[in-house]
Amino acid sequence: MPEPPGTAPLRLVIAEDHYLVREGTRRLLEDTGEVRVLAAVGTATELLDAVGRLLPDVVIADIRMPPGHHTEGITAAHAIRAAHPGIGVVVLSQHANENYAFDLFRCGTNGLAYLLKERIGEVDELLRALHEVTAGRSVVDPRIVEVLIGSHARAADAPLSHLTRRELDVLRQMAEGKTNRAIAACLNLSESTVEKHVNSTFAKLGLAEIPQLHRRVSAVLAYLRHTPAGPV
Amino acid sequence: MHLVAAGGGACLLWATLIGTTQLENRYVSPWILGSVVPCFFAGLFIWWHAPNSPVARRLLLLGVWLSVAAAVRHTTTLLSQELGWDLRPQPAGVLVPLDQVLLMISRVCNLTVSILVVRLLALLPDGHVLFRHERRVLNALWGLLALPVLLPCVGMSDLTVYYVVAYHSEAWLPGVGAALLVVRCLRARAADRPDITALLPFAALGAAVFLARGSARLFRAWHGEHGALYFVGALLGALPYVSISVTLLYAAFCHRLLGVDIVLRRSAVYGSLWLIINSWYVGMALALGLTAGLYFPVGLSLLVAVVAAALFQPVRARLNTLAERRAFGRRLSRFGLLVQFSAALEHAYDLDRLAPRLATGLRDGLNLRWVRVRLGGAGLPVSTAEAGRPPPGERPSAQYPLLYGDDALGVIEYGPKAAGRRTPEDDDIGQTLARSAALAVHNVRLAAELSAHARETQRQAVELAASRARIVHAQDTERRRIERRLHDGIQQELVALVAKLALARNRLHRGGDIDAALTEVQDDAYHVIDDLRELAHGIHPPILTDQGLVAAVTSCARRMPIPVTVHSAEPLTDERFALDIEESAFYLVSEALTNVLKHAGAGHVTVRMTHADGRLQVEVADDGKGFPTATTHGSGLTGMRDRTEAVGGELTITSRAGHGTVIRARLPERAREETRA
Repeated sequence: MPEPPGTAPLRLVIAEDHYLVREGTRRLLEDTGEVRVLAAVGTATELLDAVGRLLPDVVIADIRMPPGHHTEGITAAHAIRAAHPGIGVVVLSQHANENYAFDLFRCGTNGLAYLLKERIGEVDELLRALHEVTAGRSVVDPRIVEVLIGSHARAADAPLSHLTRRELDVLRQMAEGKTNRAIAACLNLSESTVEKHVNSTFAKLGLAEIPQLHRRVSAVLAYLRHTPAGPV
Repeated sequence: MHLVAAGGGACLLWATLIGTTQLENRYVSPWILGSVVPCFFAGLFIWWHAPNSPVARRLLLLGVWLSVAAAVRHTTTLLSQELGWDLRPQPAGVLVPLDQVLLMISRVCNLTVSILVVRLLALLPDGHVLFRHERRVLNALWGLLALPVLLPCVGMSDLTVYYVVAYHSEAWLPGVGAALLVVRCLRARAADRPDITALLPFAALGAAVFLARGSARLFRAWHGEHGALYFVGALLGALPYVSISVTLLYAAFCHRLLGVDIVLRRSAVYGSLWLIINSWYVGMALALGLTAGLYFPVGLSLLVAVVAAALFQPVRARLNTLAERRAFGRRLSRFGLLVQFSAALEHAYDLDRLAPRLATGLRDGLNLRWVRVRLGGAGLPVSTAEAGRPPPGERPSAQYPLLYGDDALGVIEYGPKAAGRRTPEDDDIGQTLARSAALAVHNVRLAAELSAHARETQRQAVELAASRARIVHAQDTERRRIERRLHDGIQQELVALVAKLALARNRLHRGGDIDAALTEVQDDAYHVIDDLRELAHGIHPPILTDQGLVAAVTSCARRMPIPVTVHSAEPLTDERFALDIEESAFYLVSEALTNVLKHAGAGHVTVRMTHADGRLQVEVADDGKGFPTATTHGSGLTGMRDRTEAVGGELTITSRAGHGTVIRARLPERAREETRA
């Protein structure tokens, strides 16, 4: 039951063990008027409980929560997506490490976002991510994409190395969940040029057959995840 | 024979009794002690143990006849003292018949002694007549016994008879025996010859001394009964009996020359030899003292006697030692050798000292011509020692390998004995010593291994202490670095941030626009967050805890400015090891990658994580310029080694100038016991 952005406030549950961050986030988002925070909880258990009771549109989860302080946010996200495929989950993480993103997208990228925690300060970005996941799409923090694209840790015959500089730029924007139009605006290109780059990128990565809606970020992420570490 | 022996003993007792108690003649005791007693007891002793040996019988007979002669002489002297007879040789002897008879008996006895000496000497070593001429000559000698009876009858003067019968026969007849022995030696079969040859010098010596004594007695006739020459004569007179007795006793038991095949306690042999030597010694000392008593006052003569005793003492001691060595030679050497070797075992840690001691001891103990000892082998340096030099090309007559289990630890080999034949007992000793030596060498080997282990342990302990110090030092350095970064970096930035916020507040109070200021503060805060994240990652990468080694290494590799290929065996990806193992492996890789960046100038790095023989193997290989491993001891490499060895792993660094470097750590695969809370 995704709603078009802007029509009605997103019904949100926040899970964050740090009180100040939790309340700060809640007030920041509620101030925008686009979000209604149904509940703000401190642990993964409470989160799952709240989601089951309140059935929000979208959830913001800290990656590291009591009791283990490891990756409870990711586990909770998987659980929520499995139980309620309609609920999007944004995982906020203090780790600028791609492997956590891979972990999150392990079972599919739809409706999931991996953002660094400091994005709380950029409310627009956060809101956009909330809308994206609510719509079933994915977002990855630009820092992660930066690491992956800038990485040399791959074999010379890895498909990513065949991409042109412009195609990599487009890919990076795609990874942020932007539409072709947004990418064109960002890179000062025509929309048709962007579309051409997108298609050639998909072709080079061998992803042409995947349906339009999902293949963008999800395919890029799936591919990025598998490339650098895999045996040559 | 028993009767003869008993009679001899009785005569000896009688002669001693009257000689010492009744007679004024001072030379009775020395003579009896110096020659009669040794000869009689030596004969008795040998005959007791080898009653069938002709030599033993003859020696006993000689001793008996010496006793009889002494008894007769002393009896006649006693009688002459008591009855006023003068039995001394008279220039023109007109004696009463009874005197004549007694004198004749005495002379016959003396002559018999001489003939017995001849027969004893001539038929050595076995006492059997081998050649016809021997029998003829020896039988003919008995004819001489008629002389004391016949010569006075044909009117020869008493003095002449005395010379012919007593002096000349005693002086010359042993020479006949020695000559017969020489002939016998020349005509004997080759097999028997060595034995006869061995005894020949003694027989010749005996004959020579008899001759000298005879000569001295002739001199005595001119000098009277109490001169230095008389003493020399008495000294020499006792010597041949002693030397013959000792020689025969020694030959009988130590060389089995008399066919005496008996096992005898060496102490008994030694005891007999001791008795003979010491009787002679006491006799000689007495004789000298008594001689001196004729010329000097009593005190001085006592002094002379004491001096004489002191002078003869070294001779006696030497003879006793000789007797002891000869008598106990083999037996003592068995224990002595073992004792000596046991003592030598104290030096067993040093084969270079043990080998010569063993060789020398074995040669002296068994009286061998040469001994060669080789100790060592089976991982030990070999020590070789020789006692005596083997003639070139001579093969050892005995060879005993030193075996411990299946290990050959050396060999003992030796040539023939310096004298005599090798007996089974000798071989027993060789074998026993070889076994003991094998044990000793084995001990040396154990000791060497032990000390090698001890050295290795010590080295490890030193290395461990050093490594611990380095780890502590590294930890302190790291702490200081973190502290500096927190205080000088992040804290300063936060302070600046607070200041900027204060500025923004001031501007707000003045009604100004603070949007730009807030943006700046936000950017600064992002910067602080980045710094903190980096710092926290430096302290401990959370990905290592959360996702394990492969994820952490892969993530680390992605951030390298040069291409890094990561290979990991499939099962490793999800496997979690003990925390210290994972950390050790991760820091190894990260340190190695840092080193590659700093020093190698490499274009590509390959990180490989695999299972190998139940261990986790982590390998970082670059294609950089490499370095000579032997000369480089960078703190980075030492740190890696410390870290690896601290968890029980091992680090190998392979590098060659121009061919890159491979750093390989093999770590124990301890599984993670629990996830860290």
